[in-house]
Amino acid sequence: MAQNHHVVRPGAAHDPGAADEEARVEAGITTDYAAPRTGLEERLVRLWESALRFGPVGIEDDFFELGGDSMLAARVQLDVDVEFGVEISAAALFLSPTVATLAEAVEEALKSAGAGV
Amino acid sequence: MNTGSAPRHAVPDLADPGLYADHDPHAVWRALRAYDPVYWQPVGAPHAARGQGAGGPRPDAGLGFWAATRYADVDRILRDHEVFTSERGTLLSLIGRPDPAAGHQMAATDPPRHDALRAPLHKAMRVRSVDAHTREVRAGIRALLPLDGGPFDFAAGMRDLPLVVLGLLLGLPEADRPHLARLAMTASAEDDPDLMLPEGPAATLRRAHRELFAYFTDLVRARARDPRDDLVGIMLGMRHDGVRMPPAAIVSNCYSLLLGAAVTLSQVPVATVMALAENGGYAAWAARPDLLDSGIEESLRWATPARYFMRTTRRPVELSGVVVPEGQPVVAFLASANRDRRVFTDPDVFDVARRPNRHLAFGAGPHYCIGANMARLTLRLLFTELFAAYAKLDVVGEPVRIRSVFLAGVKSLPVQGRLRRAPV
Repeated sequence: MAQNHHVVRPGAAHDPGAADEEARVEAGITTDYAAPRTGLEERLVRLWESALRFGPVGIEDDFFELGGDSMLAARVQLDVDVEFGVEISAAALFLSPTVATLAEAVEEALKSAGAGV
Repeated sequence: MNTGSAPRHAVPDLADPGLYADHDPHAVWRALRAYDPVYWQPVGAPHAARGQGAGGPRPDAGLGFWAATRYADVDRILRDHEVFTSERGTLLSLIGRPDPAAGHQMAATDPPRHDALRAPLHKAMRVRSVDAHTREVRAGIRALLPLDGGPFDFAAGMRDLPLVVLGLLLGLPEADRPHLARLAMTASAEDDPDLMLPEGPAATLRRAHRELFAYFTDLVRARARDPRDDLVGIMLGMRHDGVRMPPAAIVSNCYSLLLGAAVTLSQVPVATVMALAENGGYAAWAARPDLLDSGIEESLRWATPARYFMRTTRRPVELSGVVVPEGQPVVAFLASANRDRRVFTDPDVFDVARRPNRHLAFGAGPHYCIGANMARLTLRLLFTELFAAYAKLDVVGEPVRIRSVFLAGVKSLPVQGRLRRAPV
């Protein structure tokens, strides 16, 4: 998983310039950078960036393309539990591994947790 | 010693799943052991394409591996982790690309880090061993052996055998077990047409792997929330050198356990029933409970479900007179070593009384199968129940071999048993 780490900019501002775009292509990332739209996405992006030691992470980027592996995914999954206080099915991260889909799942879980109590 | 007298063009591609699905690899290995025991096998195209990500396509030139086929070399490769590292992949699908599991999963990690993953699992397995579940395992096994007197697919039945045991140890819901068995099979035999996704073997492997990791991540979280006295619960509560095991490492250990057991174990009874049908030895072995244990060792030698493990040389090393340079993949063919006549008398004869029987079906050295005892206990219960149920077991149709380089076995074996008691 180490090959993609030459763009190590955790916590970088989310306005990648031309240099970043080039670095993304070089790292083999096939998606265009898309900035987080909500506070929730923003928090997830930060969580991913610290786990992957890579940034900026776009909300449509594939976790595994960013250099993540299954062990790291399991760790992030458990970090999400702690950060948001809800448990979402691991399938969300492992099978559709983007911040955007993960944010949807977290939001869903938060809603039903709020409704449930 | 490399006599070099074998005509190289006569050696079929050892990395071709077709060799194992449609031909007899033992004939090939026999020739290699005799004439070319450390043989360079070029690999035309990377066996599994790289992910969509880094780097794009690689030049194929120069890819390949050294195939070691003699017992002494295979044994050395497995034991000597200083020279032969596991951290650059242990499966052929990883040739020419980094192993994402390196340093994380037991099979892809060298000592000492390997031992930190293995020790807690080993301890947990001693605490929660199959012994404690004999009654349930026996009941689960009986459910796999039909007693209606009709023909049945023995291989299909045995597919659920490992999950009978692992399901108890890990506390897996019954409803999940067939799905897990299929995923494990897919993650071990991604080339088989019954399992491969239209996107190809690499995508198939990736998908199965991630589904399993997702499943075990959920399982470990559920156990953390609601502690139970199963293997996962024990690992969660354990400390190794004063440190709790990270939950992600427990997830990885569950994955290793399932892959290690779920597909390989079922192939041992299947290969044995085929061998016994061929040599007519079923009734004779069934009548000799004193040969149960030696017969099980012979079954393991005969089946060797994990055909090979790959290592990579850390420095130049000499094997049977061949100098293998540094940084090269070496494939240790366990299945060939287990038929080496330098170690086994009449290696191609299935002999339930064989002693000694120092087979390598469980590997050797630091990666020796962590479930070996679990496997032996399960096989003992299985053969006891099998012999109690059927006086005779005939193969009544063509076995269908699994299309895989790694996994030796068949996915379909039509049999007909003669019941000891009246049909139920």
